[in-house]
Amino acid sequence: MSAYQISLITLTCISVITVSGVFTMTSLAGMFSLGQAAYMSISAYLTFCLARYLNLPIWLTAIVGIVMSGIVAFIISLPSLRLRRDYFALLSVGFGGMVLAIVILLGKWTNAAVGFSKIPKVNHLVWIILGITVLIVFVVRNIKYSRFGRMCIALKTDEIAARSFGINVYGLKVKIYVVASVIAAVGGICFGLRNRVIAPDSFDWSASAEMQILLFFGGTNSLTGSVLSAASLKLLPEFLKGVSIFGMNLHDFRTTIYCILIILIINFRTKGLMGEKELSFKLIQKLAKKINRTVKKGGSK
Amino acid sequence: MKECILRIDNLHKNFGGVVAVDAFNLEVRIGELMGIIGPNGAGKTTIFNLISKIYEPDEGTIEFDGQNITHKSQIQVARMGLSRTFQNVRLFSGLSVLDNVKVALDAKANYSLLEAMFLLPRRWKREKETTRAAMECLTLLNLDEFADRQPGNLPYGLQRRVEIARALVSNPKLLMLDEPAAGLNPEEVFQLIDFLHEMREKYPQTAILIIEHRMELVMNICEYIYVQDFGKTIAKGDPTEIQNNPAVIKAYLGEEA
Repeated sequence: MSAYQISLITLTCISVITVSGVFTMTSLAGMFSLGQAAYMSISAYLTFCLARYLNLPIWLTAIVGIVMSGIVAFIISLPSLRLRRDYFALLSVGFGGMVLAIVILLGKWTNAAVGFSKIPKVNHLVWIILGITVLIVFVVRNIKYSRFGRMCIALKTDEIAARSFGINVYGLKVKIYVVASVIAAVGGICFGLRNRVIAPDSFDWSASAEMQILLFFGGTNSLTGSVLSAASLKLLPEFLKGVSIFGMNLHDFRTTIYCILIILIINFRTKGLMGEKELSFKLIQKLAKKINRTVKKGGSK
Repeated sequence: MKECILRIDNLHKNFGGVVAVDAFNLEVRIGELMGIIGPNGAGKTTIFNLISKIYEPDEGTIEFDGQNITHKSQIQVARMGLSRTFQNVRLFSGLSVLDNVKVALDAKANYSLLEAMFLLPRRWKREKETTRAAMECLTLLNLDEFADRQPGNLPYGLQRRVEIARALVSNPKLLMLDEPAAGLNPEEVFQLIDFLHEMREKYPQTAILIIEHRMELVMNICEYIYVQDFGKTIAKGDPTEIQNNPAVIKAYLGEEA
């Protein structure tokens, strides 16, 4: 593989990891957050700063970074998840800003806005990131098809009815928020390892908003859709580089193209590209049968 | 005399200046079917919301299954075996009929989030048990053919029955039905009456408390009836007594000219 291909694959994978995290909280439990990128920055800065200044192996500091993100998520969730959904979303923006402000304040170690670039090189990075991506998607899928997934969808639709079946709405939301933040933290470390530089800019609220956009584009209630849209929309600009119309490179219009795509989706497929459909073996079998039938029909004519 | 499952003593609830429930007393025994009727605004649903702990009472005590639940939370009470349906069907729209029934068992199924994430053996075992119990309940109530359907695509009468199945699957000690016949056409009401009779045969241990407007349903299935008007109990007795009670006739039909 060329370095370019590897960089594309890792870029896609990181996008899939972070969107899976957002899927867990927004699609399953209905918590809309614009602060998930903050957890990426917490874990990334902790991991690489500790590795650099204390000379510890990267896998150890990565664990510290992920665990710390989980603890921060737990502490943040205790008061904020008692709020109504819209206030929770507002608070998440504030939280994201706060974390980045702390990163800049600690500029002595984090190198502030210039970016921290003393990140060790890891061999076979593409395989590691691919493995992590598969694991994360597997885990999120399992949550969806467990009692926790069902209870989440129940509380998202109707909290009072959910409580009347003994579902501990608040406790479950805290759990899911921590899981989603830990997944974001894993994504943050992968991001650092790939780019070899981390700066506060790359974790601001627009990064969190991008995750939400990718999620809604693919289908709010479909993990398959979210993963596909996370991968394809992230790669879209790269494909546009090779296309030019009337002498203009489409890559220069990528923002416009994004916006048009999103407007189209919002208008014509309110529930996202895949809606609530999931890719499963049953669905593939059904499709295969359908295709088989149409092919046969065509043959008999 | 059978054991008393729910005992309400001198229950009060005000909303601002409006007295929604005034000195309400009630006793329900195992396997009994009781009805609460009354005109709109009589405070019937408020009584349900007080029992299931959505509201806090201003005064009075509620005892359920031998324990004082007056100050317990909605979740605790639900886990003790008190189950209810809602006036407007509140099925979870993102879940299939089967999953809707399964979710009523999920709070008690004990496998952890980690076990769910990595598909450990206990997860499979518990999921199997939950699915079996939910399917059993659906089969018992003749709803099994709709298991994979989305509740939103079912006719209203069926949605009601699914909601009752969801409330029944955990074998509750007390089931509270809030206007189960609201929004049903006459034919569907008769189907619901048959359904409720059948349900009682299959779950003899479950006591049922029912709020209703439709007289044909209440008079047909309830053993004992409380009549509420403006927060007060104006009559109680078996269906024939209630039908001939002058105070009830007055509340329902108004004063004679």
